[in-house]
Amino acid sequence: MMETIRMTIAFLTFGSAVIFGIAGIVGLFRFPDPYSRLQAGSLCGTTAVFSTFLGALALSPNWAMAARIIIIGFFFLVSSPTGSHIVARFAWNSDIMPWKPPAVPLKKKDRAKKIRRKNRRGKQAGDGQEETP
Amino acid sequence: MRHLLLDFMQWFLLGCAVLCVLRMTTGKTAADKLTGLNVLSGVVLAFLVLRGVRQGRALYLDVALVYDIFGFLGFLAIAHFLEDKISEGNDRGGPPA
Repeated sequence: MMETIRMTIAFLTFGSAVIFGIAGIVGLFRFPDPYSRLQAGSLCGTTAVFSTFLGALALSPNWAMAARIIIIGFFFLVSSPTGSHIVARFAWNSDIMPWKPPAVPLKKKDRAKKIRRKNRRGKQAGDGQEETP
Repeated sequence: MRHLLLDFMQWFLLGCAVLCVLRMTTGKTAADKLTGLNVLSGVVLAFLVLRGVRQGRALYLDVALVYDIFGFLGFLAIAHFLEDKISEGNDRGGPPA
């Protein structure tokens, strides 16, 4: 019974570790600038690795190993975000610009709506200017 | 069944580590390479923990803990060194507006 519960917990945590790991690695390769890549990488690092720790904790054969895994997990939770912060500050200090989405030309309908809104606003502003003097 | 799970996760983490090394070698800027190194250290740590549980030896877990501590210190040293090199010229902080 106990073995079944442990196996189920390990299966679930390892499954989430695989999903988050694949997502993080894909993000590490596909994202456009170092900041978003860092986000994907630290997501992968924290969630995938911590899920692996939980699974290993469920499967650990004795208490000595379980205690060591808990200590490693605590230290990992301190050190990994600190490392990500250091990389982000390094990228910011070395003048790397954050990525911006490229300017997409508006569709015909949207453009008409935008022009209409602009005209309305211009008329209102004009009215205001006429009233003030 | 439990050995199968642990073996599969070890192979998966090895694949992740290879991809991180690839990212480190092909990354264009230093920030990319440092990101790859950051992820790589976590992945190798998880691999060592899984290996220790699979083999039933606590020695791997001690090695994992020391690896984590020294990896973090080494990472700190590399980032500090690079930052010193960069901030010799300018001290504005942040990209140009």
